[in-house]
This record gives sequence, structure tokens and C-alpha cells, in this order.
Amino acid sequence: MTAGRVIDTYVEEVTAALPGPPRVRGDMMAELRSGLLDALDAHRQDGLPDDAAAAAATAEFGEPRVIAATFRPELAVRLARRCALTLVITGPVVGLLWAVAAVASHIGIRRALPWEAAAPAGSTAVVRLLLIALLVTILGAVVTIAVTGRLAARHGRSQVAPAAAALSGYTAVTVDVVIFTLLASQLAGAPGGLAPVPVAAAAAASVTRLVLAWRAALRCRAVLT
Amino acid sequence: MRAETLKGHLDGMLLASLETGPSHGYAIMEMLRAGSDGQVDLPTGTIYPALRRLERAGLLAGAWDEAGGRRRRLYSLTPAGRQALAAERGTWRIFSAAVTALLEPEPRPVTS
Repeated sequence: MTAGRVIDTYVEEVTAALPGPPRVRGDMMAELRSGLLDALDAHRQDGLPDDAAAAAATAEFGEPRVIAATFRPELAVRLARRCALTLVITGPVVGLLWAVAAVASHIGIRRALPWEAAAPAGSTAVVRLLLIALLVTILGAVVTIAVTGRLAARHGRSQVAPAAAALSGYTAVTVDVVIFTLLASQLAGAPGGLAPVPVAAAAAASVTRLVLAWRAALRCRAVLT
Repeated sequence: MRAETLKGHLDGMLLASLETGPSHGYAIMEMLRAGSDGQVDLPTGTIYPALRRLERAGLLAGAWDEAGGRRRRLYSLTPAGRQALAAERGTWRIFSAAVTALLEPEPRPVTS
């Protein structure tokens, strides 16, 4: 193996032991690689032949699995923050689109939620579930953003962030699923009252958010262990 | 010196190593080794997550830099980083004086 190949293999091993999308860890891995090339240079200058210099550089950096473990908490925090920001940004958009859909469908959102008027009995409990899920989503995202900020970084690491972000992601998924359930019951009961275009737009946004939230939640959960 | 012994002081040492000017991960680790006469000898790879955490804390500013055909991530102290370093020094002086006094007591005159 050439010296460059030895170093690439090392970086690949560290990367493979880290969860999350390559974009998030990519920059950190590029820095690790650049450091290894510096180490390789230093050992070459000490007079070692290429193979020996590459071996010395990777030995100096530490066992790939051990090094991956030291990157993990930092990666977890960044991943959790990204997840929470995704939810915080997409949440109001999805909510607004559903509100527009409700108004356009001439269903009062003040006295009753859009689907409540014609919805079968028992939907009040569903709406309650919706509101609780919504509240947990917001709280989870806010907690995540708070504990991944600057001040928190000065006080060590915590597992709170990925856990709160994962919870927030799962409840966001719940919110979307509940809305679709209510929409389905509305469609079955009184489909005529719905404004097709705003409802379709809101549904499309909701589906997109559902997929994003689900992926975010899985990633944050993966980094927990 | 083992990693556990250094734990809690690594942040301060990293900040101190950047006091004279910006530097990159590998050079910082070499400074720690040389400056401690080899006593501080951590696996080099561990320095990178530590630098990222200090950057997130706003104590360091990091940016990619291209010099001599090699891309390196350069770190420099922020004003908050300088403050944190001064605070760390103060705490360390008090702590080390106390530990020295307790571990290496001056022989006391016999009073009774």
C-alpha cells in the first residue's frame, strides 16, 4: 500500500465508525486527513521511508475506533442541532399551509379545527393528541437548540441533545400522521367542503416534512448508543 | 501522563498554545509535546474533536486555509477565548498552589 492509501484507509475506518450523513462529518474528516498528511511529512523528514512514515503517522493518531469515539459526541451535538433546526424551520411552514387550507375550505379554525365540524365522534381525542404531539415537538426542538449552543459547549458534552432531537422528530412525524388521519376522515365524511389546491399544497409540505423528520429522528437515535 | 490526568486541563492548554498566533491541529499537538518535554502525549487524532468543541463554544475561530499547496484548518483565539484562558490560568494557580502545599508540606517546627 502506498502512504496515501494507508492514510485514506485510516480516514475511511474512522468515518465508517461514525453515524450520520457524510456532509456533517465530511469537514471533520477532511481536517483529520490533512493532519495525517502533516504527520506523514513530519515522519518522512525524520528520515523514515514512505511505508514506515505512513505507519508511524497512523499509529501516532491513535486507533481508528478510539478516535471515532472521541469525534462522536461532537458529531452528535451537530447532528441534533441540525435536526432541531430543520424541525423549527419546517414546522411553521407546514402549520401555515394547513391553516390556509382550513381557511380556504371555509372551515372555521377558531371555533373548531378544520376537520372537527364534520368529523366523527372521538376526533376530539385525536385533536388533543395532535396538540400534545405538537407541544412535545416544539419543546424537544427548543431544548436541543438550547443545549447545543455556545454556553453548553463550554460545559462538556451531553446526551440530552440527540435524545431531545430524536423525540422531537418522532412527535413531528406523529403530528403529520394525525393530520392525515383527520384529513382522511374529512374526505370520507364531507369531501365537498375541501379546497383542493391549498389542501394539496399543505399535504405535500406535510409529507416532505414527515420524511425529513423521520430521517432526522433515526439519525439522532443512531448517535445515542 | 495519562489522558485522565490531563482531562479538564486540555482545553486550557489548547487555548494557551494559540495565544501567540493562529495554528493548525498537528502543529498544536507538536507544541503540546515539545512544550511539556513529551509529558503531554495524547493520540494526535483526539485534538481535532477538542478543537471543534472549543470552536462551537466560541472560544476559537476556525477556518480552512490554503498555504503551500496543502489545505489546513487554522484556529485562532477569539476575545472570549482569551478571557477563558485568563480565567483558566487564575484557577490553575490557586489549584496547583493548594495541591503542592498539601502533597509537599514544608517540614513544620515541633510545637509541643
